[in-house]
Amino acid sequence: MHDLQKIVVFVTKTNWLLFMVTSLLAWMTTPTDVSLGVLLGGLIVSVNFQLLKKTILDNFCPEVVAVKGGSFVGNILVKYYIRFVISGVLIFLLISNHIVHPLGLLVGLSVVVASMFLATMLELTRLFFKEAV
Amino acid sequence: MEFLVGSVWAAGLAIGIAAFGCGIGQGLGLAGAMNGISRNPEAAGKIQVNMLIGLAMIESLCIYALVVSLILLYAHPALKGTIAVVAAH
Repeated sequence: MHDLQKIVVFVTKTNWLLFMVTSLLAWMTTPTDVSLGVLLGGLIVSVNFQLLKKTILDNFCPEVVAVKGGSFVGNILVKYYIRFVISGVLIFLLISNHIVHPLGLLVGLSVVVASMFLATMLELTRLFFKEAV
Repeated sequence: MEFLVGSVWAAGLAIGIAAFGCGIGQGLGLAGAMNGISRNPEAAGKIQVNMLIGLAMIESLCIYALVVSLILLYAHPALKGTIAVVAAH
């Protein structure tokens, strides 16, 4: 497997792992609205990332671009905007109806970014150790 | 009252500026990726992965801005008191 593909697999796995760990920790240590925020925020952003991954891997390859032609842009854009609108509406409903605590939601929404940050740090560490050896 | 108006202005500006920046960033990223794939189709796999990570990072920034603007509008800690004061007048 190529190094870059390994990073995506690592980010995906770490993403779900972080989601579970933060949700569990929040459930044990914080009030219900905060833990619900972490859970729902993490779920929204993780599902979003999976759908984005599927859209890009399915559509951004030379064979598909050549075959689909004009419908290519429409296909990606429509899926992208539907995904974005749904997540926006969900976040709006969660905050405007005071279902979750905003700080918990922010922590939950940071799950994907945190896993990418972890992947970057690991790669950097590997790079430094490689150069040291 | 000024506080409410300020909150609405801040929320609008927050999501507006964030969407502007993220839109430009994603557009540049996608344009670069499409150029790269069309010039060198063999590199499509590498470009896809980099693009996926980049788009997810940019998109999360826009989602943060959306959350901040929604907090300013609906869940600001000082908003309840201000609304009560405005309603009393």
